[in-house]
Amino acid sequence: MSQSKSDPSSSTSRVKLLRTFPRFSVSQRWEHAILLLSIATLLLTGLPQKYRTAVWSQTIISSLDRLATIQLIHRVAALVLTGLVLYHLGKAIFLMARRKLPGDMLPTLQDVKDAWNMLLYLIYFKKQKPAFGKYNFEQKVTYWFLFFAIGIMLISGYIMWFPEVITRILPGGAIPAAIMAHSTEAIVTTIFIVLWHFYHVHFERLNLSIFSGWLNEEDMRTYHDLEYNQLVREPRSNESSGDMKL
Amino acid sequence: MRRDRKLRLTYLFCMIIICSLFIVIFGTSVVYAATREHENQNLSQVAPDLSNAAPIVSNEACLECHGKPELSLTLSNGDILDLYVNPDNYEASIHGKDGYACVQCHTDLGNYPHPAFPASDLRDVTLQLTKVCDRCHSGEYNRTMDSVHAAAQTAGMREAAVCTDCHGSHYVRQLTDPGTNLLLPNARLDIPITCSRCHFAIYQKYRSSVHGAALTEESNTDVPTCIDCHGVHNIENPTTNAFLLNSPLLCASCHTDPELMDKYGISTNVLNTYVADFHGTTVTLFEKQSPDSQTNKPVCYDCHGVHAISRVTDPKSGIEMQQNLLVRCKACHPDATTNFPGAWMSHYIPSPEHYSMVYYVNLFYKFFIPVVLGGMVALVGLDVGHSVYVKTRRGKRPPKPPPQAETTSPPESPMPFPPSESLSPSVSEAPSKPPPSEILSPPPTEVPIQPPPSVEDSAEEPHE
Repeated sequence: MSQSKSDPSSSTSRVKLLRTFPRFSVSQRWEHAILLLSIATLLLTGLPQKYRTAVWSQTIISSLDRLATIQLIHRVAALVLTGLVLYHLGKAIFLMARRKLPGDMLPTLQDVKDAWNMLLYLIYFKKQKPAFGKYNFEQKVTYWFLFFAIGIMLISGYIMWFPEVITRILPGGAIPAAIMAHSTEAIVTTIFIVLWHFYHVHFERLNLSIFSGWLNEEDMRTYHDLEYNQLVREPRSNESSGDMKL
Repeated sequence: MRRDRKLRLTYLFCMIIICSLFIVIFGTSVVYAATREHENQNLSQVAPDLSNAAPIVSNEACLECHGKPELSLTLSNGDILDLYVNPDNYEASIHGKDGYACVQCHTDLGNYPHPAFPASDLRDVTLQLTKVCDRCHSGEYNRTMDSVHAAAQTAGMREAAVCTDCHGSHYVRQLTDPGTNLLLPNARLDIPITCSRCHFAIYQKYRSSVHGAALTEESNTDVPTCIDCHGVHNIENPTTNAFLLNSPLLCASCHTDPELMDKYGISTNVLNTYVADFHGTTVTLFEKQSPDSQTNKPVCYDCHGVHAISRVTDPKSGIEMQQNLLVRCKACHPDATTNFPGAWMSHYIPSPEHYSMVYYVNLFYKFFIPVVLGGMVALVGLDVGHSVYVKTRRGKRPPKPPPQAETTSPPESPMPFPPSESLSPSVSEAPSKPPPSEILSPPPTEVPIQPPPSVEDSAEEPHE
């Protein structure tokens, strides 16, 4: 990021100093990769079922065997996603029990203020962006939106999968309601990921920290000011990570 | 002057084109109508055909013998063939009314003594003589050749129906209105009885159904008879996959007709609510794509019954009663329990009264989608707009570093590691991206001179 002028001793070498800051643990990066793959699979196998009357969908679902295969893939991917969600929740509960759960991702009043200030910045009322911590409001919105979306998708999905079992407990109307929710929520989630998440990690800036695990100093200063300052000032105060240390 | 002539020429030219167009259209329509008429009245072929043949023998000549009730013939297997024709009944029949002569059908019997009749038994007589229908009614005759009855005949089932089994031979009734070509009401009432002569068990079920009861008890001709579902002459096999997949449209041909349904207060949404549900979706999908494929999804008659279709409110078998519907569900869902039939929305469109849960989920998304997505689009749009603005106004590449980095980040002094510039006189270029394996090790800042301890500390434990 910072480039020195040519060095007196070795005039040819230009030094580029790249200071990186760890952002995600290996486990978190794996979680994201599995989440990405399972959601992509679910979407690719789910959308043809939703838009079954469309021509493009009918070229995919051209026979009952194909439909059965697509549904099988969809259900396997759903099981993977369920496992992932259970792991994620289990980890959170484990950390919570030991009072080690980092609170960075929890929504706070500050996020509302940040969002408001950001809006003012975007409509040219303010000259400066608000300074953010480890996760800014946009990232928290992404996390919690997907958190609840996946919750709705999983619950409604299992209701559709086992209608005979579910109707032992719930009224029959739960099943058409689940179909409605599953199908609509899928579209909302897709649009959300494409519009919101892809915009922020691909177009606003290319942010691959969820794959690499680190952020460079410039990005830290630009986008995670508060965290950067905190790290720089009192590096030892924030030792607990979002991961289990056994 | 010249312009005038030019105008007149153009006008003439146009008129010629228009006139010739008219002539062409008129001509084709006349030819078309003529062919249509020809098709409709293939009866007219008969007259010239016969005029070439032997001089017509009058019906009186035939009836001199065949008008006597005792006239009969013993066939080779001992069956007795009744040769009596009731003159009055024949006169009343459609052929008698129109003045057709006996020998127009019995073409080989113009002379006496008649040639020997090579029929082995009574059924053989029918099967041989029914072929003469083809001479005038070739359209209908050919259609019966495509029917399930003809298929049974070729498979060797001699009882399978041929023309005269349904229409009779000497006393054929007028069935359609000659003006409209539609079935006469009286003829409609008799159709199930005709079919019942062979399909009696089905007729009894039909008579107990909501349709059959209306027809037989109230003489209501709005309801479907056998032929409305099965066809008239080209009766198709109703046990095929194709028939099953097409059957919802068959029922829908009446049940989506508002004129007919309003008379009885029946909803016309039965088809679209069925298609909207996943059972119906699958069926219609395969009806369109591969009409012969087998499906395990129910069609109308799987729940409502095939011939014994009952009123949905019928307490004994009506499927509005959930326990009656449950029986149908269990045919495919053996584990189903009391609540299960409620999963099918009974052709209701969700509303606060019916299937309110579905209605409110739908309502929620009607608001949720525009609010959330609209907000997102607005924010992203503003963000794009702002960064474009920043780029063009300040002519610098990242949106804010110059002003922001200075102001918000601490003036790089009170910190454990010195500003990067001061470290610079060191080494080679650091890799711009470390391989992922190194990520949790100390960051790839290859600075041998006192690597700031703080960075290492924070690097060792992925920080959250």
